[in-house]
Amino acid sequence: MQRTTTALVTLAALSGLAAGAATAQDGPDRKAVLTTYADIAEAGYSDSLTKAKELQAKVEALIADPSAEALQAARAAWLEARVPYQQTEVFRFGNPIVDDWEGKVNAWPLDEGLIDYVDTSYGGATDENQYAALNIVANPTFTLSGEEIDATEITPELLSDTLHEADEVEANVATGYHAIEFLLWGQDLNGTEKGAGERPWTDYAAGDDCTNGHCDRRGDYLKAATDLLVSDLDWMAQQWAADGEARSTVMADENAGLTAMLTGMGSLSYGEQAGERMKLGVMLNDPEEEHDCFSDNTYNSHYYDALGVRNVYAGEYVRVDGSVVSGPSLSDLVAAADPQVDAELSAALDHTMAEVGQIKTAAEAGFSYDMMLARGNEAGEALIMDAVDSLVAQTKSIERAVGVLGVERIGFEGSDSLDNPDAVFQ
Amino acid sequence: MKYALALCLSLAAAPASAGVAEVIDDQIRPNLAQFAEATAALESAAEQDCRAEALRPAYQSAFDAWMGVSHLRFGPMEEGGRALAISFWPDKRGMVGATVARLVAEEDPIARTPEEFGEVSVAGRGLFALERLFYDEALSGYGEDSYSCALARAVTYDLARMARELRAEWEDYAPLMLKAGEAGNDTYLSDKEARQALYTALLSGLEFTADQRLGRPLGTFERPRPERAEARRSGRSLRNVILSLEALEDMAEALADEPIPVTEEAFDTVLAEARDLDDPVFAGMEAPTGRLKVEILQQLTQAVRRAVEGEIGLQLGVTAGFNATDGD
Repeated sequence: MQRTTTALVTLAALSGLAAGAATAQDGPDRKAVLTTYADIAEAGYSDSLTKAKELQAKVEALIADPSAEALQAARAAWLEARVPYQQTEVFRFGNPIVDDWEGKVNAWPLDEGLIDYVDTSYGGATDENQYAALNIVANPTFTLSGEEIDATEITPELLSDTLHEADEVEANVATGYHAIEFLLWGQDLNGTEKGAGERPWTDYAAGDDCTNGHCDRRGDYLKAATDLLVSDLDWMAQQWAADGEARSTVMADENAGLTAMLTGMGSLSYGEQAGERMKLGVMLNDPEEEHDCFSDNTYNSHYYDALGVRNVYAGEYVRVDGSVVSGPSLSDLVAAADPQVDAELSAALDHTMAEVGQIKTAAEAGFSYDMMLARGNEAGEALIMDAVDSLVAQTKSIERAVGVLGVERIGFEGSDSLDNPDAVFQ
Repeated sequence: MKYALALCLSLAAAPASAGVAEVIDDQIRPNLAQFAEATAALESAAEQDCRAEALRPAYQSAFDAWMGVSHLRFGPMEEGGRALAISFWPDKRGMVGATVARLVAEEDPIARTPEEFGEVSVAGRGLFALERLFYDEALSGYGEDSYSCALARAVTYDLARMARELRAEWEDYAPLMLKAGEAGNDTYLSDKEARQALYTALLSGLEFTADQRLGRPLGTFERPRPERAEARRSGRSLRNVILSLEALEDMAEALADEPIPVTEEAFDTVLAEARDLDDPVFAGMEAPTGRLKVEILQQLTQAVRRAVEGEIGLQLGVTAGFNATDGD
């Protein structure tokens, strides 16, 4: 009897423990977390589409009736359009459907001489890129990889099917935000001094007022590139809608979906933003390495990239109309599994926002991102490297979150070997 | 219950796995020492005679030593972008050539103060800047009293300094890995995290060789890119592949707690193929048969990666973390 009682008590204690453990694991339903994620993606791409359409209207107005004001209005629309788009970059690395498409809209860096006239200091063709100075705007016909190209009419199809990544060179960026940015601002010839590109509005003027030649073709190019951006974003927004492929893929397998979320957060934070986009620019002292180099908007692209990572974790996105998309979050899920890891990762993401916020603050007060990159500019280097360190630290916390959720299998997304696992058997 | 709890605690505080200590003691420390010594030797050789021809042998040794540590892309190596400053490659925009040419053409006075040379763009520093000075015919003919001579001394000084600092900082960093999970260690909260960092470095090293060292010159079948081979000017493209694979094999063996026959065989296969290849800078890439051989090398390197994942990953209970090169 005595024994039995003890055994029962022990069992009760054990089951109590088990129940406690189960409660700790509870948190929100994993499906609900994935739904929030897909909802944020859908809202982000829809907002990007809305803003791209506004840009399209301003571009059409500029071409119809060129003026300094019209060019300025188009530039302002482009800057606004970047705000929602940069927050979607976090969806890229974890979702092959986004990664495969992304190059059409946000490829960078580019050899802008492919598109239009450039300063003599730009040089010409290079070892890496024979077409670095092709200048499509000035040349209605040319030879590309041995093929005669008729570009008398500049259409979205010509840009996307023939010219983008011409000759298999990634720097031949003929489409997307950065091609449009170049057409609106022109080259930034200020080096590591303050200042963005200074393309005159007369580059779009008619008749004798036209500067730098071929204004009509330049306008055609700008229009074709903007139309293409709108249709590409429209497509992606649909992929995240109720029956869209991107959403279905994420929802199909809970663990894979969570892995996609965390992979996107970690790969963007570390290899892409901290590495390629921020550290490399400082280490090269090269303003050409700025993500938004023509418009001097790089500090914003860094800021909104980082915010996108935080959105995914916190399960919250503020739309361009001020409304909020939110729901059960990855943070809730991690907190249920290990409150300490959640607290650490949340704090790390907030810390990064403060660091990139400092860069943004300094840049908006006149200490532009180009100046921060200058050789020997210790204040600029410290601002950028502190943000880099913070991004690296948050990546470590993301790895810990992967561990406590038990959704390992992370990393190497986007690598050639993983995309093509059968390569070895070919 | 008490016993069970105590058991949990003792498991949590288990000492670092043999693998982590072994990698650090048998590979990382000696290889970093070797790299520091080889770059110091290059620096003093440049003090004696700064001309290209005189420095090529010491340069080759320093590059050899780099291949023993180039995969350690975490901790001290990432501090202040050190890996980029030592070895800026791939150089997709041709920055090294342009930067070195500009330094020489402008006779940038920074070369006269080697201790400040770390300010210069990474495209003008490290092994690849030296490669231009020593092997690019347009630049390598300089004499003792030239600007390029001072530049060679500044770059070798800066390189030796970085190697020395790297070695010293690893002495502070190694205890963090060896004492993972101990109170106050925020870098590695558990032994598993330390194992994962090394495991990630191992897989990323293999990935880098497959995708970059071999993948870049391979280009596509229609458009091979032999001019994109790593360190082709100094004739090291294939040698770098071999030396890196050798270092990674040593690391795999040290990291594993149990025999790893599948991984070892995969390494042996790719290394045998690589040593047999008579194409030091992948110049034979233009011909289909030449290209095929390099493609096979790439596939065999990917096969090593899968063997490591299946064998060592499973043994250690870890998967790869994020790595510094996973952007695009």
